[in-house]
Amino acid sequence: MAHLAPLIMIFPLLGFLLVLVNGRSLSDRATGAIATSVVGLSFLASVACFVLLLHDKSREVSINLFDWISVDTLHVPAALLIDPLSITMCLFVTGISTLIHLYSTAYMAGEKDFRKFFLYLNLFVFSMLTLVLANNLVLTFVGWEGVGACSYWLVSFYFDRDAAASAGKKAFVYNRVGDIGLLLAMFLLFQHTHTLTYLSIFSATSSLSPTVATLVVLALLLGATGKSAQIPLFNWLPDAMEGPTPVSALIHAATMVTAGVFLLVRMSPVLALSSSGRMTIAVIGGVTAFVAATIATSQKDIKKVLAFSTVSQIGYMVLAVGVGAYGAAIFLMVSHAFFKALLFLGSGSVIHSLGGEQDMRKMGALAKWLPLTFPTFLIGWLTISGVPPFAGFWSKGDVLTNVFAHNKILWALGVVTAILTAYYMSRLFVLTFRGTERFREVTHQHDPHESPLVMTAPLVILAVLSVLGGLLDLPWAHGFSLTHFLSPTFGYVAPSAAQSTGLQTGLALVDVVAALIGLFAAFTIWRDRVESDTFEKPFFEHVWRWDDAYDATLGRPLTALAHVTSDVVETRVIDGAVEGLGGSVRRSGEGIRKLQAGLVRQYALAMVLGVTVIVVYLVGRVR
Amino acid sequence: MHSSLYVSVLIALPMLGALVAMLLRKTPGASYAVAMATGVVEFALTLVVAVLYKTNIPGAAGAAGFDFATRHVLSAPLGLAYDVSLDGLSLLMVVLTGLVLVLALWGARDQRREPAFVAWLLVLTGLTMGSFVSHDVLEFFVFFELTLVPCYFIISGWGGKERNRAALKFFLYTFTASAPLLVGILYLGFAVQHQHPTQGLSFAYGTLMGASISHATAVWLFVAFAVAFGAKSPIWPLHTWSPLTYAEAPTAGSIVLSALLAKLGSYGLLRFAVGLLPLAMTSVRPYVMTLAVIGIFYGSILAAVSSELKRFVAYSSLAQMGFITLGVVSGSTIGVTGAVLLMFNHGVITMAFFLMIGFLEKRRMSTQIADFAGLQRPMPVLAALFTVTMLASIGLPGLSGFVSEYLILIGTFTTHAWWSVTAALGVLASAVYLLWAYQRVFHGRAEGANAALEDASSRERWVLVPLIVLIVVLGVFPKPVLDRISPSVHTLVTMVATASVTK
Amino acid sequence: MTLTIPSIHYLVILPVLIFFGASLVLLIASAMWRRSVPQVVSTTVAVAASLAVVVVAFFQWHELDKGGATTTVAHAVVLDGFSVVATAVIAVCTALAALVAHDWLRREGVRGAEYQILALASTAGAMLMSQANDLIVIFLGLEILSLGLYVLVALDRRKTESAEASLKYFILGGFASAIFIYGAALLYGATGSTNISTISYFLGSNVVLKPGLLVAGGALLLVGFAFKIAAVPFHMWSPDVYEGAPTPVTGFMASIVKVGAFAALIRVMVSGLGTQLATWRPIFWALIVLTTVVGAALAIPQRNAKRLLAYSSINQAGFILIGVWAADERGIAAALFYLATYAPVVVATFAIVAVMGGLGDERHSIESYRGLARRQPWLGAALAVLLLSQLGAPLTAGFYAKYSVLASAVDAGGAPLALIALLSAAVAASVYLRWTVVLYADADGDDELGESRVVVPAGTRVAIGAGVLIALVLGVWPGPLVTLAQHASLYFLP
Repeated sequence: MAHLAPLIMIFPLLGFLLVLVNGRSLSDRATGAIATSVVGLSFLASVACFVLLLHDKSREVSINLFDWISVDTLHVPAALLIDPLSITMCLFVTGISTLIHLYSTAYMAGEKDFRKFFLYLNLFVFSMLTLVLANNLVLTFVGWEGVGACSYWLVSFYFDRDAAASAGKKAFVYNRVGDIGLLLAMFLLFQHTHTLTYLSIFSATSSLSPTVATLVVLALLLGATGKSAQIPLFNWLPDAMEGPTPVSALIHAATMVTAGVFLLVRMSPVLALSSSGRMTIAVIGGVTAFVAATIATSQKDIKKVLAFSTVSQIGYMVLAVGVGAYGAAIFLMVSHAFFKALLFLGSGSVIHSLGGEQDMRKMGALAKWLPLTFPTFLIGWLTISGVPPFAGFWSKGDVLTNVFAHNKILWALGVVTAILTAYYMSRLFVLTFRGTERFREVTHQHDPHESPLVMTAPLVILAVLSVLGGLLDLPWAHGFSLTHFLSPTFGYVAPSAAQSTGLQTGLALVDVVAALIGLFAAFTIWRDRVESDTFEKPFFEHVWRWDDAYDATLGRPLTALAHVTSDVVETRVIDGAVEGLGGSVRRSGEGIRKLQAGLVRQYALAMVLGVTVIVVYLVGRVR
Repeated sequence: MHSSLYVSVLIALPMLGALVAMLLRKTPGASYAVAMATGVVEFALTLVVAVLYKTNIPGAAGAAGFDFATRHVLSAPLGLAYDVSLDGLSLLMVVLTGLVLVLALWGARDQRREPAFVAWLLVLTGLTMGSFVSHDVLEFFVFFELTLVPCYFIISGWGGKERNRAALKFFLYTFTASAPLLVGILYLGFAVQHQHPTQGLSFAYGTLMGASISHATAVWLFVAFAVAFGAKSPIWPLHTWSPLTYAEAPTAGSIVLSALLAKLGSYGLLRFAVGLLPLAMTSVRPYVMTLAVIGIFYGSILAAVSSELKRFVAYSSLAQMGFITLGVVSGSTIGVTGAVLLMFNHGVITMAFFLMIGFLEKRRMSTQIADFAGLQRPMPVLAALFTVTMLASIGLPGLSGFVSEYLILIGTFTTHAWWSVTAALGVLASAVYLLWAYQRVFHGRAEGANAALEDASSRERWVLVPLIVLIVVLGVFPKPVLDRISPSVHTLVTMVATASVTK
Repeated sequence: MTLTIPSIHYLVILPVLIFFGASLVLLIASAMWRRSVPQVVSTTVAVAASLAVVVVAFFQWHELDKGGATTTVAHAVVLDGFSVVATAVIAVCTALAALVAHDWLRREGVRGAEYQILALASTAGAMLMSQANDLIVIFLGLEILSLGLYVLVALDRRKTESAEASLKYFILGGFASAIFIYGAALLYGATGSTNISTISYFLGSNVVLKPGLLVAGGALLLVGFAFKIAAVPFHMWSPDVYEGAPTPVTGFMASIVKVGAFAALIRVMVSGLGTQLATWRPIFWALIVLTTVVGAALAIPQRNAKRLLAYSSINQAGFILIGVWAADERGIAAALFYLATYAPVVVATFAIVAVMGGLGDERHSIESYRGLARRQPWLGAALAVLLLSQLGAPLTAGFYAKYSVLASAVDAGGAPLALIALLSAAVAASVYLRWTVVLYADADGDDELGESRVVVPAGTRVAIGAGVLIALVLGVWPGPLVTLAQHASLYFLP
């Protein structure tokens, strides 16, 4: 294990370095092959580690690589922690990454910066694995920031488009806000537990007072909202769709954006100390899920819909974390990775077939043109809508059941969100694949063409996973469930098991009904509509005016402040004072010079005055 | 304990090189070759010293970890002595000095390779080296002041349009600011001498440490010291010379000023203000920290709106100096270690920035941000190198900037949480202004002259590669460096802590 | 009545005698010579006399080591380390000034030996001041010094400024002398003696109940000196006179006169009135602040090299006064060190100004120095070094001069005073730097005078070289001179 586990990370790094060093000499094909295979190898390594871990009693293996930072009392090793949580993350991260790498080799074919794309992609996988495998917060932070940087590069991949460049910057900056939260959490933990290694922190939780614990949890939550696009920092994700679609699928749907949830789950022993903190998490999650869902109902751009749906789904995960249903959160995370990746890649295939068109109003009736994309997308759609027996039904159901046991209001909100989810996904499905052909002028009267096999194969695999994903955690199969596998890493688990099967079945039925309502509504409204003022509220379309609010409250005031500072404070006040001092000395020099008229009597007078002053002073002094 | 010869050679070698360079000024290219050779040898020697350096040297009162030490009294009545040594605080600065010399020469544009220019550059680095290894406060002051002269001639001789104004402003600003420093040093020296009338006047570091002064006096002296070092660093609001000077100075000049001489300020603040006046710390710390934090945001804001690249770097340096100052006075071993490391890292990073700006200036004869756009297309390599430097400056983990910044923040947090929290917001600010500048220069569509720019030449690449390597290596494996810094820092910090408690 | 001739220790007064003798020899020679005495002869005599005095100074130092400080001629003249060093400095400067004057006179085609005759006489006066232990003798020296100078300033007959300056200097100088002698009289009235040691003993042993007379006398003496050393507000004559006088004479005044005046000032104030320190220190404090600050501030607007140097020397005088203010061994040594380094440097500076002045001694605008360092690197570098030394840059003698006076001030508890002075030095620095920049600016020769190379005759070369050498050598290795100054203590310290 000690020799195997590092390989998980080393392979992608190796790929990165290979492409970096002899980037010029490699052909695009070779680059793609290398990049994809290294990630594949890292997947195999993860599988091997998983098997080994199953046979390991302690289920916790720390592997020390080298001593990274070590000053005074601060010791931060570069060390890995292999436990059920990290290995689960590894498995689906590397698995999905492999598929998306494969998909990208075709999707990105002929791009100017083809090599650079895979360079970034490999580096991203490496960073993501660092994030999940690290055995201390600082190393996690390395991965945390690393994925952020890669996301910056990949979002602004088409950097000559200003929109893309700005989107990349926005993504990085919003994440940065969250990072401050993570930093503060680290600072607090270090000050009170004098360590930043997970296991040591967990064994020292007793030294955390409730207040501190709550502060830490809130700081972590801030970090999570940044990375996982939750309120109040969620509005960078839609802009991030400027990146190539595979990037949206990998980074902004399946893996990176779930890092926040992962971090919260990882820190569950600390979360256990603060019920108020958990409550805040739950509310943030629930509200985000709902708000994002409402926004998704009114988007015109197919990728934007999916982006907001991602935000909403992560909202579910955060909600689950908030109610202590960590297993459910991870379960949803995994299954969501399957079906959201599927949907994004599917949409990518659609966009590909229409030569880059993303506006759903210019699509429609694509079912018959895309024989492979259509059925796989159909599965994805049903899965996310929560229709049994697909994975989404089980995972979302798991979450909602736990929420119900914990807080009825949030549960109700969750159900409403479920209806909305089914609704907007069906809207997307209808506008894209049903209805009339509206894409002719986009494709210049050509027929849309199905994507090549390397692109469709991943779709099929993901579709299968979406169908079978539910098996990971069937409510009645506790012995072998994902939750059961993960449970040793959790500090506190919600009493979901305490519920009667009757109630569970009832809740499941509610979910199904919700899904069906959404589907029905969508079909009735959008069967013969392309756009509608009644059902596409501008308020929703413009993200609840969220960006405008930030611009008004922060953006413009800060810009004004900056200009005042540079034009007035710097030049006039501070430097003005300096220059003024120098000038005044010079002027005084000129001034006194006037006295020097060259007249002897004046000079004599000055002397006399001098003498008098001195004598008077002295005589006065001694008297 | 190693021979002090190493250090003395470190000081003498550049002077010698300058002399030879001037003697060979008639033969074209010779003086540059001499200078380059001197630089390489000097740098190699600094590395040797760094490797040899032993931390466990039991020294004078609370002065453990001083290696390569020697002391010769030059003039007893003046209290003038040649007294050099190295410890964890100065070691990195010494290496940095060697590095800056080599790269400033190497990166200098061809028309800048005049004998006089390289000679001045050598003299300047020699003097800087002298001030970093000085273990006698008066000796330090002499070197510290002397650096002004070569700086002045480099700026006024080879600078931009407003070079004379810039040079004079720089000189007068720092010269005036260092007046209180000299008086303060004298005061401290005589305070000690009046305590022990038997022993002669001496400004040896260890001796001045023993000065028993009242708290009020300590505060006044600290202010006197802080003004001089604050103007050099620069610490807000004593910074206004720097944008003009950095913008007008030739590239090599800006490099030396920002990467090296600025560090003289923060180094002096740590070694002499904090080290000699521990009594004052408890009462002055809040004010200094406040100024530092103001500097962080002030610098960030002005960097964000500055329209010219060199000024941009000047203001971003002001922000970085804020972090350094914060760490220097943090009173925590972790924080101070981070500050010392950041002095080095910021030196490397800002050097890379100025070199790349110099390359751009050479191509477009302009450093106005507005004149550039979409450079990432025509010059991908330079863009990549710039990105790495930028991310290091932002403090991306895995690159050098993070380690130092992180240590400063977490160290300060353990002692003065609120300042650390506020400063942490500066981490956000740096991302904002750097990414925005990058977007304006490298992103977007390259048209006209910008589209025709050719990418970094092989020489330009090889100038930058060492810096990039340093940025990555110090980000991934800083241990050897940290192990050399922290013992000395620990000695200093504990000394300060005990002094401020007992007295 | 019987007149008792006091015993005379001739070695003590030998320097004075030598200078007087040389002056007389030349005077007689020029009377007997058919045509006027060739410059070569007169200069040789002057230089020889100076060198002889330097040698004598060595013997005097030797004598000191053996017998210690002594007085002679009825305690009117003193031999102590202080006087010896002052003597040596004066002698060296006289030699250098003589060489500069030689070349100047040759260039301007002035015939005759007047210059050297008068210069030697004045030097004798200065020397007497530095050795005098009696107010009357000081006054004597002061008058001998001044009378020679009045004429020297007017030496350039072609220029009205020269005559005008001379007149000004004469009138005001007379005024100052009157004040001085009146002060001496009052002091005599208060203490019953004009002998400095006696005065000091008296003040040390008795308590003056009605000190009005005493302090008034001291104040007037102080003013008399303040005039000679051009301390603000008694400085106003100096720019006009410096500008009007022939440049070598200006150099002579800036160096030799200052040394003599300061020597006497120190003796009177520290030796004589040392017990009254508390009384006159505040006045010195005010004088120093005024002198340093006003001198520096007024130097800024100057565009004429000689006027600029006049104000700069006012600022420098302020610094020397700091040493007097400290009024202890360290302070006196510092002041002496300052004089010993500053005097030769300023002579050399004026030597360069003299050659740059060109025929007619007219071109003294700073602009005429533009690009000098590019045309004549050595000359430019020399001037740069001399200016940097006056600026007080490290590695030049000026740094240690400033450093030691400031140190003495801080030692004596005058940190604020030191700070103010140092800030004034920063202001002055801008002046010197501006000049240095002009030197190194590339001569965009719109006017022909920007291009012309000036010839530097051999004698002037020596003078400049000596000044630069002193500035640099003492800048790198000040130890010996510092130690010397330390040992050059006063004959009497209360």
